[in-house]
Amino acid sequence: MADDRKRLFQKELEVKFTKEHGDNKMEGGEITDKKVTYYRLGVDQNPRKVEMKKAGQEMAKARGLVGYNPMMHCGGIPLGQRAITPSFVSGTDIMVETDDLHYVNNAAMQQMWDDIRRTTIVGMDMAHETLEKRLGIEVTPETINHYLEVLNHALPGGAVVQEHMVETHPALVDDCYVKIFTGDDELADEIDSQFLIDINKQFPEDQAEALKAAIGKTTWQAAHIPTVVSRTTDGAQTSRWMAMQVGMSFIAAYNMCAGEAAVADLSYAAKHAGVISMGDMLPARRARGPNEPGGISFGHMADIIQTSRVDAEDPAHVALEVVGGGCMLYDQIWLGSYMSGGVGFTQYATAAYTNNILDDNLYYNVDYINDKYDGAANKGTDNKVKATMDVVKDIATESTIYGLENYEKYPTALEDHFGGSQRATMLSAAAGSATALATGNGNAGLSAWYLSMYLHKEAHGRLGFFGYDLQDQCGATNVFSFQSDEGLPVELRGPNYPNYAMNVGHQGGYTAIASAAHAGRGDAWAVNPLIKVCFADDLLPFDFTAPRKEFGRGAIREFEPAGERSLIIPAK
Amino acid sequence: MAYEAQYYPGATSVAENRRKHMSGDVEKLREVSDDDLTLVLGHRAPGSDYPSTHPPLAEMGEPECSIREMVEPTPGAKAGDRVRYVQFVDSMYNAPSTPYFRSYAAAINYRGVDPGTLSGRQVVEARERDMEEIAKFQLETEMTCPALASLRGATVHGHSLRLPEDGIMFDMLDRCRLENGVVIMHKDQVGRAIDKKVDFGKPMSEEEAAKRTTIYRVDNVAFRDDAEVIEWVHTVFEKRTAYGFKPE
Repeated sequence: MADDRKRLFQKELEVKFTKEHGDNKMEGGEITDKKVTYYRLGVDQNPRKVEMKKAGQEMAKARGLVGYNPMMHCGGIPLGQRAITPSFVSGTDIMVETDDLHYVNNAAMQQMWDDIRRTTIVGMDMAHETLEKRLGIEVTPETINHYLEVLNHALPGGAVVQEHMVETHPALVDDCYVKIFTGDDELADEIDSQFLIDINKQFPEDQAEALKAAIGKTTWQAAHIPTVVSRTTDGAQTSRWMAMQVGMSFIAAYNMCAGEAAVADLSYAAKHAGVISMGDMLPARRARGPNEPGGISFGHMADIIQTSRVDAEDPAHVALEVVGGGCMLYDQIWLGSYMSGGVGFTQYATAAYTNNILDDNLYYNVDYINDKYDGAANKGTDNKVKATMDVVKDIATESTIYGLENYEKYPTALEDHFGGSQRATMLSAAAGSATALATGNGNAGLSAWYLSMYLHKEAHGRLGFFGYDLQDQCGATNVFSFQSDEGLPVELRGPNYPNYAMNVGHQGGYTAIASAAHAGRGDAWAVNPLIKVCFADDLLPFDFTAPRKEFGRGAIREFEPAGERSLIIPAK
Repeated sequence: MAYEAQYYPGATSVAENRRKHMSGDVEKLREVSDDDLTLVLGHRAPGSDYPSTHPPLAEMGEPECSIREMVEPTPGAKAGDRVRYVQFVDSMYNAPSTPYFRSYAAAINYRGVDPGTLSGRQVVEARERDMEEIAKFQLETEMTCPALASLRGATVHGHSLRLPEDGIMFDMLDRCRLENGVVIMHKDQVGRAIDKKVDFGKPMSEEEAAKRTTIYRVDNVAFRDDAEVIEWVHTVFEKRTAYGFKPE
């Protein structure tokens, strides 16, 4: 294929590396220059570092105890001896300081995770059957509407049934609510629109039909407990909190006697039957309950991100948004903090969703595939190429070499991804997602991921870090070993899969591969239609259709998070 | 017919250089004195004895063991030396070696070594005098260009950055400098100042670096042009995939 295409990252790198930001004196030069003058101006060349340095000094003065001081590094050598350059968030025109892509500095990132952790899906059908058969209570659309009104009072912490109860202040929990969804259009028509996630409105027609067929006449509650509660407790609290309020709301809405024996049946049916957590519980050695990020399978994560319903015709875009969301959650929050203790992993992750470098590689692959395999990277099911070893080898090799050559031709791209793990994620995510797009097969994509790692290592004589390399060099062996303890389709693997449990820089890419296979086919979901519909909800504070834009808004401090406590904190 | 080791496939100069590094058949380009080496490694004062972690093996009364009889201890192990490290960083811009090829060279050609490979750096741990032998070998031969490779026990950042205007690999701690046309180290590998400047000689010219490098680059020898190497990687990939294949 002719190599005369305009690289997506060129414009961003020209701004990033040849313009002055703050006091970095970067003006001039070409992004293809192999040599440059490093002014060694330290932290003072970067506005955010300057702000942080000043805050550290003020803090030390106020509390009489030293704190942040960038001159501590290596006994007084300032951080940022080379220019610390800001980054564009891929797919947007938002330029950010990279410090602001650390989740501690970014309210949108915190909200994305909050919105996932505080979500649970609870089936209504068994509770309704229990009400009707065990208690002889008639359930109608009207009673369901009434119940939902009660639950939207109770779920945030309003009291029902019991008197003289303490309650939560509604303004602190205004992000907490429940809606329902169903595959039954007739029932949906009867539900008050404020309570309904309307599949017909939220999804393209073909996706809506597929989702309704999968969900059938079942009915599900998409519940989100208060952000502040979730932050104070943990992911396992989500279903507990929901269960408590569900029980109370049924009793109140259907005028039941709280002491009668049949309520026990209802309680089980309403609270525990058909509960779907976003993440599975982790084993005791990792000490996490359900709804914590280590238990969220790649397929679930792919379904949580909603780009596929708003830009279905561009499956590569879908995969790239999933990369952003996946890298942030798995690398920055799960591996970067829960598993490792914090600080450092953010930069692995941001490489995948900044400066359009991965985007460029993947869209190159789309062109390559469409040229060679007759449009196989476009959305569709009858245009896919068969997932054979030859196809995996071809796409992964072309994709990887294209990406490697970009690092060789554009020294600023190499400088942007200055760690091998960043480069390896980029190249493999592009190869894997492209192969998944072309074949509609996530495992073929995963296979391409590993081949890309081998090619990268062989070309440059280096790859990522110690543990990173190990897992990628044995990874090909576990792609097609289909026993639950040995291997799974990529959709069902998750961050706790044995080889991935400490695999920084990978999990967002794996999620993208799972997503790409289905987005490429035009599927309405990757692994769970209920999760896909649950997050098709515009009322959530975080916009799951555009995670990268949201991270950018968080970085430039435009994002409004939920769960803030200023109402109960003395005003300064 | 005597077996002849085949170290690496490929028909390009990069493949040939890789074969040379792995076989240890590399050209010596410079001299580094023992004292200079000790200074830049920074583990002990030049001229001092090797600190030991145990008495010499000969004094320890080792138990009977057929393996111990078969395997001759390395000099460092025999003397009871501490385990120490040497760590190199190799630029992406045609540095002669790369982390994996430094590891292969150490593992194939030396005993008692523990090589570690990362994206920007490569560490070898071994008994101190054994480690020094490997470090000296690498520093004195074509495995190293003083401008495009350097000793860095700490802050390894720089291998993938553009080269500064004088062509020396970026080093945040400024351990290496170009002075009067030669590369000197005035700090040890972790960035502590040392008593004298250690001279590593002239940088390779761009042409020489391109000729001696073991990295494929599109502006020198492109990876896609070494078809045999790519085919070989594909073979490794296919075999590893098939090994784990379990269709039922």
